[in-house]
Amino acid sequence: MKYSYIKPRAKTALTPEIKLLVSFFSMTIVMLFLTYGFLLYKDYTFTSDKVSYAQQREDLAHLIEEMKDEISYIEKQNALSQKIYTQNTVLKDSITNLFDLVPQRITLSEAKLLKNGLVLYGITPNKEVYSFMLQAPLRSIFHRTYSSFYPAKNGWLHFVSTNYIDDENNINMEDEDEN
Amino acid sequence: MKINISRQHIYLLVISVFLLIFVLVFSFVVLIPKGKQYREDRVELKKELREFRKYQDFHTQTEEKLKDLQSKNRHIITAFDAIFNPARFEKQHRSYFSSLKLSEIKGAGLEDEFVVYEVNTSSQISSPKSFYNFLDAVNKSDWIIGVNFPIDFKRDGELIHSSFTMKVYTNNKDKNSTKLKKKTKTKEN
Repeated sequence: MKYSYIKPRAKTALTPEIKLLVSFFSMTIVMLFLTYGFLLYKDYTFTSDKVSYAQQREDLAHLIEEMKDEISYIEKQNALSQKIYTQNTVLKDSITNLFDLVPQRITLSEAKLLKNGLVLYGITPNKEVYSFMLQAPLRSIFHRTYSSFYPAKNGWLHFVSTNYIDDENNINMEDEDEN
Repeated sequence: MKINISRQHIYLLVISVFLLIFVLVFSFVVLIPKGKQYREDRVELKKELREFRKYQDFHTQTEEKLKDLQSKNRHIITAFDAIFNPARFEKQHRSYFSSLKLSEIKGAGLEDEFVVYEVNTSSQISSPKSFYNFLDAVNKSDWIIGVNFPIDFKRDGELIHSSFTMKVYTNNKDKNSTKLKKKTKTKEN
């Protein structure tokens, strides 16, 4: 005897309610794992970026140090070359002034320019011309001036004028001794 | 009183509770600490990036300064690098003298980290003006040269015989080579 007109269904644990619940939770879990995966990936990229920036920074620091060394070396080269160029220009002016200093009546035969002195050899018509026209200006420039004469064949006088500039240190020491 | 709960409902309840606990535990134990670490790492990375940018800016500034210096002092840099060539010097400056002769180049030592060579020079000039022109030309020559005392001018008929010493300044090659060694070492590391 039949009590129902439909066939009995096989009973299962996966009822529609459970399926719905499982699908909701599985979505939630997938989202959680995706977030966790994203965080793991970011963590990895942050670490590698940090290491790379630190390395690049170190490289830059090395380069900066090398460039600084190069800059200071060029500045030294520049300073030394300017000093030498100035010395050459000063030397040129000194020689110009020296030859301008010699009057037309006196003829120079030799001039020796020393670091702290000047030696002149020449010929003068007489001692007075030499004293007034050459020795006086030389005395105003040099600290010590010595002159010696010997007669020339034409009645003029050969002269040797030796002039020195004392070191500033020596002058200061002498001043201190006098005091 | 009898509570009548079907087996289906018990399944539903157990799965719900289990999944809820899993979600909560996973969130609080794993996800939230990881999120905190992510924020800290992001701040740290930004700090590192800021520091790196500072270095980059300073590097650019220093590089510009170096290039500017190099372009402004190109002549001086090449002059310090050049090795003194007496024949070339004579060829370049012969026009200022009636005759020019350079004799013996000797090393005079170091001055301000630079190697100095002394060159004795004897020449004949027609007038002091030629010597002034020579001194001007020396400042523009291919080497760094300082004309040094003693300088001797002696009348020789219609000409003036002049003899003087020149100091030629060049880079200290030994020092440069040690610099290069340092550079290669750092690159190797």
